[in-house]
Amino acid sequence: MATDLLEIRGLDLRYGSSHVLHGVGLNVSDRPLGILGRNGMGKTSLCNAIMGLHPHSAGEIRFDGIDMTGLPPEKRAQMGIGYVPQGRRVFRSLTVEEHLRIVERKGGAWSMDRVYETFPRLKERRRNLGDRLSGGEQQMLAIGRALLLNPRLMVLDEPTEGLAPAIVSDVIDLIELIAGEGIAVLLVEQNMHAALAAVQDVAIMVGGEVVERMTAQALESDPAMQKRHLGLEPGQSG
Amino acid sequence: MRPALILIPLLALPLVLNDFWLTQVATRSLILGIMALSLSFLATYLGVVSFAQATMAGIAGYTIAYFGPNSVGIGVQLPFWISIPLALMLAVVSGGLIGLIARRSRGIYAIMITLAIGVAFFYFTRQNYTLFNGWTGFSGVRAPEIGGLSLRDPLALYLLSLGTAVLALALVSGFVRSPLGLTIQAVRDAPGRVLALGISVTTPIVAAFAFSGLLAGAGGILNVWYQERISSFSVGLGPIIDILIVAVIGGLRHPAGAFVGAVVFVLLDTFAVDLIDRERFNTLIGVVLLLIVIVAPGGLQQLASDWVARLRRPEVKEKSTV
Amino acid sequence: MTLFLIVTLNGLTLAALYFLAASGFSLIFGLMRTVNMAHGALLMLGGYVGYSIVDATGSWGLGVVGGGLAAALAGAIVQAGVLGWMQGDELRQTLASIAISIIMADLMLWHWGGLTYQVELPEALAGGQRLPVLGVGYANIRLALMAFALATGLALWFLIQRTRFGAVIRAGVDDQDMLRALGYPINRIFVLVFALGGMLAGMAGVVAASALSIAPGTDLQFLLSSLVVVIVGGMGSIGGAALGALLVGLAEQYGLAYAPTYGVVFTFAIMVLVLAVRPQGLLGKAEL
Repeated sequence: MATDLLEIRGLDLRYGSSHVLHGVGLNVSDRPLGILGRNGMGKTSLCNAIMGLHPHSAGEIRFDGIDMTGLPPEKRAQMGIGYVPQGRRVFRSLTVEEHLRIVERKGGAWSMDRVYETFPRLKERRRNLGDRLSGGEQQMLAIGRALLLNPRLMVLDEPTEGLAPAIVSDVIDLIELIAGEGIAVLLVEQNMHAALAAVQDVAIMVGGEVVERMTAQALESDPAMQKRHLGLEPGQSG
Repeated sequence: MRPALILIPLLALPLVLNDFWLTQVATRSLILGIMALSLSFLATYLGVVSFAQATMAGIAGYTIAYFGPNSVGIGVQLPFWISIPLALMLAVVSGGLIGLIARRSRGIYAIMITLAIGVAFFYFTRQNYTLFNGWTGFSGVRAPEIGGLSLRDPLALYLLSLGTAVLALALVSGFVRSPLGLTIQAVRDAPGRVLALGISVTTPIVAAFAFSGLLAGAGGILNVWYQERISSFSVGLGPIIDILIVAVIGGLRHPAGAFVGAVVFVLLDTFAVDLIDRERFNTLIGVVLLLIVIVAPGGLQQLASDWVARLRRPEVKEKSTV
Repeated sequence: MTLFLIVTLNGLTLAALYFLAASGFSLIFGLMRTVNMAHGALLMLGGYVGYSIVDATGSWGLGVVGGGLAAALAGAIVQAGVLGWMQGDELRQTLASIAISIIMADLMLWHWGGLTYQVELPEALAGGQRLPVLGVGYANIRLALMAFALATGLALWFLIQRTRFGAVIRAGVDDQDMLRALGYPINRIFVLVFALGGMLAGMAGVVAASALSIAPGTDLQFLLSSLVVVIVGGMGSIGGAALGALLVGLAEQYGLAYAPTYGVVFTFAIMVLVLAVRPQGLLGKAEL
């Protein structure tokens, strides 16, 4: 049996005395996976654990078969995990070009020029500082700089949050493009419809646990499930 | 019950100690402990580490020297029942002013600002001759005779220091339970929430610093009687760091630990000569401070209570795997 | 008038020194939130090593470089060996750096003794000259010191604003975790920046030992000035360090000239005034 690129087993995570993740198990292969769940269900904590930004207290996270427990974030990034965090977190005192320049590596599939080709808007704004960009531009920048790591897995935490509908659909296209490049995708979303449009498989998190795992199609055609775990009335857009 | 258990042996201490131990170790530890208490009070209840406690103590000490008998011919002689309250009052005022200046700063910012204040005061005493007599300062400062009892007598000074220390601890524990004391702790925990309740944070912060000035001032008065002199060196980086080290050794979050820290510090200072070259005392104390910061950031008191807790509950094991 | 000019020039000289000392302090604070209380000791180490090198080789330039490198190495060791292990716990770092500064100062006293040293100047910098326009004579070394501070300031600005390494430092100031998630080993960057800060301090030490002198206590003097300069100018801002150094240096010299026994009060008053009006410092960014 071939191992999946990302394998998570029995993951526990605590912030002080509060127990945030309980025995989370997940696999991500070349089929893009969406993680859905309401606010406060542990989705961002899962991303922090994958990136090593917060140590987990039990369980293991394997990337390409290697246990990453105890590895610092920079090692995980170098191993090939691109991270697009919640809130985008662009550097406020770096220009667009500097963002890309500090991450660009010679000889990879992605170069600064290719990012500019993919996001012409960023090229127009390349002399602007990070905090002078619109939300959509910041999101492009956050994705662009993560791509410059030439990752094998992209972890995107709520990339459509706070964006106008037109931009949301750009982001969905982009995720499809990333997946088409052969990059594995882990997409954390609260916006179910955006997620369902972008990924093929979904996992639902409730109270720090993965409670369901199914195809995007199956969730789309199961309003009862949507209502139970995501609090969505049938027909309501998320 | 517990205070008596500690107090009775301390009262009996003069019966077993000779003059050297009583003066050089016991009295000195108490005085240093009172000054360090003023720091650990602020650190514990306001959450601010102040480097200006030696300054507050120094202001009280200089007041006693200026308005009391000294051998440099500067100042005005006043009776002790005026000069002592005056010294305490000036220490309180200086504490309040320092609190006012540092009121918007927390954490490392407060450290930087109070250190700047402390060192600036040190340079000021060196430059100024009319009030502080420059770097030579005052010598021949004699403790007063009160009711026929000379406070220059080792036993009398020891008992006075002990009494002051007990009073200081009692004051701290009473003050922190008062409404003002509780507000101070609320400011420590959530300054934003206190502001949202419509209460100014300036008043509790200034009050906490002023109260620490009272403690530091009491220590400063005892210290100038003990040393019989005061100069810029008494408010320089040396004493600033000494007070800090004592508080850190005792545990910055444990007010009473200041006295534990003081005893350890004084014993080290007194007997370091036997261990290492007297000249290298600073290296020794630097290494001790570094070790405490690395190994036991909660201070000796914390270390001891952790030990006790571990002995009592041996079944509890570390759970974290990361 | 001549007195006023000379005092102003002295103030500028002091400001140049204060800037050299404070820029490294501020750089380290800006990136790591570390109040490096051993900064004065690093400066003094640079000064002593520079003195010894000039004494042995006769080359002033070698002394400046050597003093800078010695302090850079010491700074890197301090960060990699002690402070790096307490990253995020600022109070502990502050206390540990105090301990290190006590130990360093005592060991330097042991090795170099309590004497006052002055680094011997190269011929080109010895002596003085009559300044055009102003019409007053002034020591060459002091003029060179001002030029040196200006050049250092510009180089530092270029490094931080125009190079890739500078962009990485700015990114680290903005968001350390994000920088790590982009593959940058932040601890190594911290050590590098600590070395850079130490280098600036060490070179300042040699220059200070040339233009003025160096003796036990020099560390405290420059630690205080660095503290006040960054409090006034704004923490973590190089421009703020320059402005703060200018204000403090001038105030100190005017104070010394016109109110000798209250000189420090001027410096102090500036600090209190700035804190009352702009707690984050003149050019500092507000933060919580």
